[in-house]
Amino acid sequence: MTSSEDTLIGLGRNAGAAVLVLSSLAGGDKHGYALVKDVEQFASVHIPPGTLYQLLARLESRGLITALEADNRRRPYRLTAQGASVLADYFTAQQRILKTGQARLKQSWHLA
Amino acid sequence: MSNAVDYKRRATRLLRWYPTAWNERYGDEFVDHLEQEFAERPVDLKRTLNIACRGLVARVGDFGLTSSDLKFEGESRATIGTSFTLVAIASVLTLNFWSLSVGRWSSRRFHPLPDTIATGILTVTAGLLLLVLMAIVLAVAVSSARQIRRKRARPLVGPSLLAVGSGAFILYAARWLPMELVQYTHSPHGRPGIQWSHPGRTIAALAQSTWDLTQTWVSLWTQRMYGVPTSQIIVNDLLPIALLVLGIAIAVLLRRVELPLIGERVGSAVVALLGVLLGTFLVAFFVWFTVGGPSGSTVFVTEGASAGKAYLIFLVLVAVLVGRSGVRLARRNHLLGRLSISDSSGYVA
Repeated sequence: MTSSEDTLIGLGRNAGAAVLVLSSLAGGDKHGYALVKDVEQFASVHIPPGTLYQLLARLESRGLITALEADNRRRPYRLTAQGASVLADYFTAQQRILKTGQARLKQSWHLA
Repeated sequence: MSNAVDYKRRATRLLRWYPTAWNERYGDEFVDHLEQEFAERPVDLKRTLNIACRGLVARVGDFGLTSSDLKFEGESRATIGTSFTLVAIASVLTLNFWSLSVGRWSSRRFHPLPDTIATGILTVTAGLLLLVLMAIVLAVAVSSARQIRRKRARPLVGPSLLAVGSGAFILYAARWLPMELVQYTHSPHGRPGIQWSHPGRTIAALAQSTWDLTQTWVSLWTQRMYGVPTSQIIVNDLLPIALLVLGIAIAVLLRRVELPLIGERVGSAVVALLGVLLGTFLVAFFVWFTVGGPSGSTVFVTEGASAGKAYLIFLVLVAVLVGRSGVRLARRNHLLGRLSISDSSGYVA
């Protein structure tokens, strides 16, 4: 397991939501509400506000995202280079699992 | 009332679930976020529960004993304050257990070596624990007095009043203690008094007084007292609450008082020391219980076996939590120290 995967797994049951938040910020800087709407659009998952801000605090303390200057009351967040690297490593690992699983399904069950 | 005003009011109300440090950092954007969510879905019980739960998690982090998501200013003081309160409550139990072990040891004719060593370790660790706690109270009292003299007393007024009030109540409740101690020092009524040639007897006498003092506190509202005036029973029943109030008041003072720089620096070491002392005491207590203590059914005879087990679990939890916090705080301070060195020298490590 790479240290990048450890960083995400260290977020416990919020790791899935963290991947969604990081993926959303990979597309550009966003404030909290815009982030929730973007995740809803590409993943059909609603992140409740309490979970979102706990996650933003954790990702920020781990240096995976950074808070920008607030525009009025809305503060946009940006993916850091470290955050991008962690996300890329995570996707590489997931792709390996995906390819293996699909190949086995195809071989044994003629599915996928 | 317009929707916008109503949404703002509701969002601000939900913000109360979170601690002050969190509100200062995320409050504005969180309220803005909620106002937009309310406009879309005005009522959502799951959302309210989610905010309440995460707010409580943030509040637990604010106590400084768990790894907080938010690195807030004064986090180390929060850790020291909470550790102090927990260890102060635990120290009542350690003193009671210590007095039990010494009483048992001194009543025996022959003393097996493991029993003597375990009782000795219990005596030293309980004494050191008390000394460290008293040093913290003294440091807070001196720093508070200095701050009040500099006319910056405002944040200290509330916790100081609570500390003085609850402290005075505890002293009033234990007003018989000096009289009891005098019996040992001046040897009336056939008591031996302090014999410096045989310090063991003095320690045993002190243990007896400590047991008399702490047993009322340990037997939370379960002790049957015959022939005791109602007023004294009420005072005894309020004692555990007074102790808790005193602990919390000192913890709040620790968070608000302007400590000298040395106090901030040694904070992590003090927290770690409290954890280590409590851990050592517990190990020695289990050894004593195995080699020299009474059988399981008689050790917690006054407060009950279930309460005794609950107290031991509480002590283990406090020792682990406080020791772990001390190590975490030391690591954090070490990291911050390295960062400040690299900043000042312009060299990035």
